[in-house]
Amino acid sequence: MPDVFVSEIKNIENKPKKVERHTFHSRNPLASYCYFPDGIRFVAKDSKERIVLFLRKHPITNIGWIIISLLMFSAPMALDRFPILSFLPDNFQFVAVLGWYLITIAFTFESFLNWFFSVYIITDERVFDVDFVNLIYREITEANIDQIQDVTSRMGSVVRTIFNYGDILIQTASEVPRIEFEAVPHPDKVAKILRELRVEEEQEKIEGRVR
Amino acid sequence: MIGISVLLIGKVFALVALGIYIVFALVVVKQVGLMTKTIEVGLEVLIKLIAWAHLAFAVFVFLTAFVIL
Repeated sequence: MPDVFVSEIKNIENKPKKVERHTFHSRNPLASYCYFPDGIRFVAKDSKERIVLFLRKHPITNIGWIIISLLMFSAPMALDRFPILSFLPDNFQFVAVLGWYLITIAFTFESFLNWFFSVYIITDERVFDVDFVNLIYREITEANIDQIQDVTSRMGSVVRTIFNYGDILIQTASEVPRIEFEAVPHPDKVAKILRELRVEEEQEKIEGRVR
Repeated sequence: MIGISVLLIGKVFALVALGIYIVFALVVVKQVGLMTKTIEVGLEVLIKLIAWAHLAFAVFVFLTAFVIL
């Protein structure tokens, strides 16, 4: 007996997903906006999960600590003009300068690490906010895409408008009611991708393809 | 005699501070290890190298202070 109706669900698996239309794919490990990144491994990711978007704070947000670091590195050169350590013997002055460079290196390195490892990851199933608050404190916040209730993008200053970065506020129905992506590039695009992923997730639920 | 004592106290303070700094540098090495296990993006080797170089520099400054002060 011939089939009257054949479901197309089997073919849906092979269809290119809507969210793959966006650009900004990058292999640069310092990129702050990377769409479908290659070679990124994340401890909380499932084997079948795909990273759709990898975000950090916009590079311009680093300008503050970079300027402070440059000033700190150049400060010992001003000792000739302003000999504030002249009351110390030479050997103590030498060790003081070395100590100053140690503190400067530590400040610079910690600031870089804080930016580099505090990331926001959007996979096809979940949203992650990875924070390294200080030396020993790590916090990973996650929410399922289907638990997202509302996404708001916020751009509020001249600098943010010029460099096109802002905050994304994600309201969720999970235990963590709110996830915030701070100072990420292209907030409108991020919000759009999240919206598309939510639609796709709802479609998967309707079609019974939920993992 | 008093001058020598003040310098000696200064040396002890400097060595204690640098000793604490070495502990801090060790924590940085551990922290970098934790971070690179959490997220791998491709710069892990370089970042670990910087953390170890920072620790080596801290030890070098401690030894230098111990010798010349």
